[in-house]
Order: sequence, then structure tokens, then C-alpha cells
Amino acid sequence: MRSAAVMMGGLTMALGAGLLGGCVKVQAPDKPIEITLNVNIKQEVVYRLEKDVQDLIKSNPGVF
Amino acid sequence: MTKISSFMTPLALAFALGMATPAVALADTVVEQARAAGQVGEQADGYLGIKGGASADVKARVDQINIKRRAVYTDLAAKKGASVNDVAGATACELFKTRVAPGEFYRTETGAWVQRKGSEPVKLPPYCPQ
Repeated sequence: MRSAAVMMGGLTMALGAGLLGGCVKVQAPDKPIEITLNVNIKQEVVYRLEKDVQDLIKSNPGVF
Repeated sequence: MTKISSFMTPLALAFALGMATPAVALADTVVEQARAAGQVGEQADGYLGIKGGASADVKARVDQINIKRRAVYTDLAAKKGASVNDVAGATACELFKTRVAPGEFYRTETGAWVQRKGSEPVKLPPYCPQ
């Protein structure tokens, strides 16, 4: 009985590992990543401007 | 130089038009339809982009919107002591969060067009508060 439980446990683990393996499988892109848009911005600047740009969008409905 | 002057002319035109039209203009319905049709979308640089299949009329309207965006970004940048690109990028973060409806396309900082599927959130550029 005990060995059966151990076997079942092992089977579950193997199955779990198999599923997990499927989940975290990452494939490298075959093409190099190209940065085409001119964006090089620091997150702290975005934080500082967050409220202002929210107001900007709200006050210019024809532009956004 | 040619680039700047060709850009400044429509910019000056936009200012002139801006004075002739009401202060609060409503969203361009032609552009809104093009968004829904997947021809136009928000870009990570804070401007509207043409994905493809858009008519000359849609392209012209998108250009007009981008000229106006550039003007409001420049204005806010001067007030906040930030660069125009910073303001544009910060605005893109907000637009990605609020202005891309399910099924519509957006353009990431890598230049790739991505469709927002179902209720999945829009993938924000790395410089946006996540």
C-alpha cells in the first residue's frame, strides 16, 4: 500500500513537472528585436508626469 | 531641415485651424472607425499610427491629430521642464491603459503591432508604471 502511495506521489510529481515544463517553456524569437519607435524614457519621469498627462487627455478629447 | 520645415507648415496650419474651430473639438469619428477596423492604433511613442489599409482621408486625419498632439506635448513639456518625448511617452502609458478597446491594435516600443484580445490587458512599455 505504502509503495503504491509513493508511486502515486511520484506519478503526480512527474505529471506536475511535465505540466510546469510546458508552462514555462520559452522560445527565443527567431528574429532580432528591433527598436523602431523613438522611445527612451525613464520610469521616474513618467511617474512625475502621470497626473499632468491624465489631465492633458481629459482636456483634449479631439486630440486623444 | 527639409523635415523640420515640412513639419512646421502643417503645424502652423493646425494652429490657424485651431483658432477657427471650437475650443473643445470632439473625437474624429472617421479615425474612431479606423481604430475599430484595426487600421489605426495608439503607439508607444504617444502618437497615432497607421497599421495598414487606411484610406488617404484617414491618413490625413491621423496626421492632423498627431500635429495637435505634438503641440499639446510641447506645451506641457515646457511647463514641466521635461522633454517632448518624455511627455509623449508618459501620455502613451495612459493611452495604452485607457484608449485601446478589446479587438483594437496598438504598437509596442519594438514597433510591433499587437491586437488586444478579449479582456486581456494591454502590454505596457517598460517605462510605464505597471
